[in-house]
Amino acid sequence: MIELYHIWKQYQPPRWALSDITLHAKKGDFFFITGPSGSGKTTLLKLIFREILPTQGQIVIDKRNILRIPDHRIYGLRRSMGIVFQDFRLLFHKRVFENVAVVLQVLGIPRKEIRRRVFNALRMVNLHHKMWEYPPQLSYGEQQRVAIARAVVNNPKILLADEPTGNLDPELANEIMTVFKEINMQGATVIICTHDRELIRHFGEKILFLYRGKLIRKEKL
Amino acid sequence: MRNTFSITIICLSFLIFGVFLSLSNNLFYTAKELSKNMLIIFFLEKDLPEEQRNSIEKRLNESSLVNNVHYISTGQALKRFQQNFPELQGIIENIEINPFPASFETNLAEENLSPETILRFIQVMKDMEGIEDAQFNRDWVERMQSLSRLAKAIGFFLGGILALASFFIISNVIRLNVFARKEEIGILRLVGATNFFIRIPFLLEGIILGILGGIISLALLFLLIKFFPLYLGASLGALNEIINFRYLSLTQATMLIAAGAFIGFFGSLSSLARFLKV
Repeated sequence: MIELYHIWKQYQPPRWALSDITLHAKKGDFFFITGPSGSGKTTLLKLIFREILPTQGQIVIDKRNILRIPDHRIYGLRRSMGIVFQDFRLLFHKRVFENVAVVLQVLGIPRKEIRRRVFNALRMVNLHHKMWEYPPQLSYGEQQRVAIARAVVNNPKILLADEPTGNLDPELANEIMTVFKEINMQGATVIICTHDRELIRHFGEKILFLYRGKLIRKEKL
Repeated sequence: MRNTFSITIICLSFLIFGVFLSLSNNLFYTAKELSKNMLIIFFLEKDLPEEQRNSIEKRLNESSLVNNVHYISTGQALKRFQQNFPELQGIIENIEINPFPASFETNLAEENLSPETILRFIQVMKDMEGIEDAQFNRDWVERMQSLSRLAKAIGFFLGGILALASFFIISNVIRLNVFARKEEIGILRLVGATNFFIRIPFLLEGIILGILGGIISLALLFLLIKFFPLYLGASLGALNEIINFRYLSLTQATMLIAAGAFIGFFGSLSSLARFLKV
């Protein structure tokens, strides 16, 4: 499903953000990527949804080399993914509903269906009562849940989440992880970057440890 | 705020364009008025048989360029001369014969007044047998010709420059808008929006800005045309007729608004390209 071959990424010489990462994730895998700050977790995710390009190496997703997809066709790849960004990337001048609905709007799904699915996604993260508010009116943790609802609303084949529970209390974090697990059970490949050891202990199946851009350990619990 | 600014700029550039368009309309109108009263006299050969004279008259009457044809016989010409210049009576009496040729005086019809058409018509008539010469106000025709050309050239030159300026202004305004929404565009790209989906609102914005700019500038132009002559007219005197503004025709007004939409569309299209690379 997701194959990374000898990926190197350098933002500014001489430091390498990622060095020689080779990784294979099968359909239905549930991965945690962990490591200290600046170890390259976010870079790795950004490479997978092709926000950035590697300095060297190849990335194959669903049997397609994503580095060869032209810019104007990249939407196809991204429609198969749900992404929870570390900085949420919400549209602050749009309501919570619209923030989640945008994923379905770009697919041209009928309005009625959009309303139903957005409501369900927001109910999953326990935010359906704040559907008509604007992100700045929400707490940090609530904004994060909006980002999660947006990522899962389209039942993606691949779910990428960067510190998705960083601002949530343990109880809510567990609920969110349950949502991710459900999506995983439906066949989606899930990759989560986190520092949260508790979470990893609880839900971890496969764990990748990154340190200074190197994959130092793969672990299966 | 940014949109108010952009509409103001688009509107101003269209207004300048409109002012020149209206001026050039006036030049065309003045030229047309001048040629409307133009008299062409065709002098006939001496002792022309009546059938030939009739065929010339018929030919003139049939021409769509001619409004009315008036025959002046040699006798009438002499009489007119005597009436107009009584002090030269003696000269005529000394000659003893009537030196004035018979002629057809023709007034041009209001339509079909392009100077080239008039010149061509005169040439065709002169080539006809029985017509000795044609007299007409050549100066006016030529002046009219150059005036029309000048008005056209000014219109095209300024129109072209201002259309280009408007294009860049809209393009930059949209670029500012796009820049302000760079993050939003990035997010849309990351959730799988096509370029088309992202472009639509900006293209619409460009088109609406262009149309609004066009409409507001037309309204301002209307006010200007209405009040400018009242304000300046008295002091301009005869110049007033030349500098006078004339309302744009419905076609011109529609074209101006359509040009606004067109410029808005392409202006925003050109500014979007580099933001769609995330």
